[in-house]
Amino acid sequence: MVARVAGVFDEKLTEAIANSKILVVGAGGIGCEILKNLVLTGFPQIEIIDLDTIDVSNLNRQFLFHKEHVGKSKAQVAKDSALSFNPNVNIIAHHDSVISNDYGVSYFKQFNIVMNALDNRVARNHVNRMCLAANIPLIETGTAGYAGQVELIKKGLTQCYECQPKAPQKTFPGCTIRNTPSEPIHCIVWAKHLFNQLFGEEDPDQDVSPDTADPEAAGEAGASALSSESNTAGNVERKSTRAWAAETNYNPEKLFSKLFGDDIHYLLSMENLWKKRRPPTPLNWNALPGKDDTPTQHSGLPDQRVWSVYECAQVFAASCDALQADLKRRPEGDHLVWDKDEKSAMDFVTACANIRAHIFNIPLKSRFEIKSMAGNIIPAIATANAIVAGLAVLRAQSILRGDIEACSSVYLRPKVNHRGQLFVPEKTLTPPNPKCYVCAPKPEVGLACNLKQLTLKDLTAAFKDGLNMQAPDATVEGKGLVVLSSEPGETDHNNDKTLEEIGLNDGCALLVDDFLQNYEVRVRLQQEDDEKSWRLVTDADAPKLGPKEEEKPTNGSNGANEPKPGPSRSRQDSDSDMEIIEEDEDGTIVKPPKRRRTEMSDEVVELC
Amino acid sequence: MVENNEMELSEAEAEQYDRQIRLWGLESQKRLRASKVLIIGLSGLGAETAKNIILSGVKSVCLLDNEKLKEIDLYSQFLAPPDKVGENRAEASLQRARALNPMVDVTSETKSVDELPDEYFTAFDIVCATGLKQEQLERINNVCRDSNKKFLCGDVWGMYGYMFADLVDHEYSEEIVQHKAVKRGPDDTEKNARETVTITVKRRAIYVPLQNALSADWTKPELRSRLRRGDPSYFVMKILLRFRDEYNRNPDPAKRRTDTEILLRMRDELVKELSLPVGFISDALLTDVFGTVSGAAAVVGGVIGQEVVKAVSQREPPHNNMFFFNPVKCVGFVELYGQ
Repeated sequence: MVARVAGVFDEKLTEAIANSKILVVGAGGIGCEILKNLVLTGFPQIEIIDLDTIDVSNLNRQFLFHKEHVGKSKAQVAKDSALSFNPNVNIIAHHDSVISNDYGVSYFKQFNIVMNALDNRVARNHVNRMCLAANIPLIETGTAGYAGQVELIKKGLTQCYECQPKAPQKTFPGCTIRNTPSEPIHCIVWAKHLFNQLFGEEDPDQDVSPDTADPEAAGEAGASALSSESNTAGNVERKSTRAWAAETNYNPEKLFSKLFGDDIHYLLSMENLWKKRRPPTPLNWNALPGKDDTPTQHSGLPDQRVWSVYECAQVFAASCDALQADLKRRPEGDHLVWDKDEKSAMDFVTACANIRAHIFNIPLKSRFEIKSMAGNIIPAIATANAIVAGLAVLRAQSILRGDIEACSSVYLRPKVNHRGQLFVPEKTLTPPNPKCYVCAPKPEVGLACNLKQLTLKDLTAAFKDGLNMQAPDATVEGKGLVVLSSEPGETDHNNDKTLEEIGLNDGCALLVDDFLQNYEVRVRLQQEDDEKSWRLVTDADAPKLGPKEEEKPTNGSNGANEPKPGPSRSRQDSDSDMEIIEEDEDGTIVKPPKRRRTEMSDEVVELC
Repeated sequence: MVENNEMELSEAEAEQYDRQIRLWGLESQKRLRASKVLIIGLSGLGAETAKNIILSGVKSVCLLDNEKLKEIDLYSQFLAPPDKVGENRAEASLQRARALNPMVDVTSETKSVDELPDEYFTAFDIVCATGLKQEQLERINNVCRDSNKKFLCGDVWGMYGYMFADLVDHEYSEEIVQHKAVKRGPDDTEKNARETVTITVKRRAIYVPLQNALSADWTKPELRSRLRRGDPSYFVMKILLRFRDEYNRNPDPAKRRTDTEILLRMRDELVKELSLPVGFISDALLTDVFGTVSGAAAVVGGVIGQEVVKAVSQREPPHNNMFFFNPVKCVGFVELYGQ
């Protein structure tokens, strides 16, 4: 029962739908809507992938899910609900990450169209590469609040998802977080780092103690008296925060006194920092502001009330106890993972961020606001998702009908533009960027770094975080020398060597490839003495591509500050609850590789 | 006007509506929770509209339809299960509509709008009608208007769709974000932090009834100049409403050939009547108007749902007064007619 009633579509489209096979990646807000439209229209073969489970905050828009489904697989429940609309179609649900050897190039090749309904950039980049490698049209979708967009990506015909560099995720200098916060977000980031130091996965880059290597504090270094305590990395050589906390048995009062008393006194001793800043005020557990305040009348959600410092301290103590108990219940060596929807984890971050904000004379925020910021919550509504998904499926129909050239990007605007348009299509397809380091025929990119300092381990991180590879392999161009291997153990012994030590020098080129993504890029190394870490150097002279619509700030009224997904190339990371938590993007979905390449084939051969 | 219910949201409501409260605020959510909505016509568009409104968390939704569920509805109507073909469309949709959000009171009404007295419609805060004839739409619009109740209507034919809104005399607030530099501390000369300040402005919009919009005078120069933009969507709506009035049905996929001929003839008549440029309304627009295509119903139902949310929450500028979706160009736009 395809194209259920003859005559709704012309014969060509009716037949094309009957013979189609579609992959939907993501069963969230947009994914549910896309699946509904496909099933009702009678698309006979659909596969849907999502690794997520259903949360109560999804229910305001992910309408295939109801309260009784909370905790279950999104892909599976979406399939079951959608089949009740039309039991005659065939849906295969995968409760899985799309970034997996199970979904290689040959898997992608079986579909006519892939539809992305994702909520994070890592997975979007990955599916982009898979579709380029498989040469399958990809319809990329996203929403943020009232705004949204639908974009076709087809190898050689349009730009790919990575043709235009995207604004990097906002990060803050370590010394701002550790020493001199001036915004609520600095305190929130610090509080999340503290959570990880105490209960989560310890990360040396997330140190929360005063940073004595702060260049601003240097010079005569007010902390001279204490300098003997410092090591070269700038961290005061004390026990790790975790070990110290465990010794005190996570005593909230002791923790509080160290974090919000002693450490602040220490910061104050770094006098240079406070010459032009208002110095922080250390807190004393026994004399907290707000203790005797009478509660004021509050209207609004309970979470929207800003707590007093005294209340924050109470919540700090209670959440410390709860988190410590949680940690103790786990096997030795296990740790907690911060989650904005875990009550104690969210309480802890709210309390710590606000206490620190008070110390540094920064405005305090409510738990509701801090949740948005700490959890990177993008508001999401049913209507925008419905519109974007509707447009995406109409675009899929056009592709099947053979009108792929007409499938330019369409933007759903939060408000109509000066021409009264709410859905704004681009006039033409945007051609590929010939300098794109992903979809160009011979992809190439520069990597600026200090070869004397960057280790092989850092290089792996650069390929994973910078080039979004899953399991990079690298050889030296012209020599065939293997620098990095994704096979466990093969090059690990070199991990701590610098690039210089293994014989790489300025101007040398590496061929880096990711087998799963069927992607190879030539990476030119550029020596820069000042570069502390690494950065990608793309060709800045790449021509501006695509038709640019004259972008006037909306219709008379205003709206200049609304998110504008207009034809400017700003890319919104999108759907619904796209909750990219600043630093833990990797590690979320990556499966360990277990494969060996076979010659002249893109097939994945499973080992073990 | 929807009164603002002062009762605070329950914890369950705060949890379920979290992501939208973060967008439109608590006040809007309270207004939504106090509003009663009537949805007339449970076609694919009616189902899409109902879904969006029920998910948003209004007080109540009544589904009104006297028609039976047909095979062709299943193409886009996901609230009525396929095994209920032949049953009343509103009643068949009830169970799934309720499951979308148990916090909303969803009921059904199976009478024809012609059998219902004027007071029936004015018991709601807002009425959304689809699938009705022009005369029926105008009656309900005028009844609502006389009681200062809001009215929207719309249709999807194939891939094409439109919406009309009469919010009468509508007051709303609009948030404008401004940036201002703030100094923190007396010696804070190094870097002035920028803070965003949101100010709320009150605005007002005056609407006209449907008959004005549908009888827009195309001899007037200000409308004439719109022809230069080249989008014939308004006329496609006119043709399809006339088809429905004349044949008492929508174009039928089973009669695709003969109905297309009728539509093209009606097109030619309208072109002559309004002395439009020949070829202005392309054939392509009138060949994709059979049944209800799910994607188009989702698009237009999304727009109508969002307009209902804006109207009852009195937040953000609603569209005044017609929205069109032109599937050939994949463009959606708003134009004011009849003023």
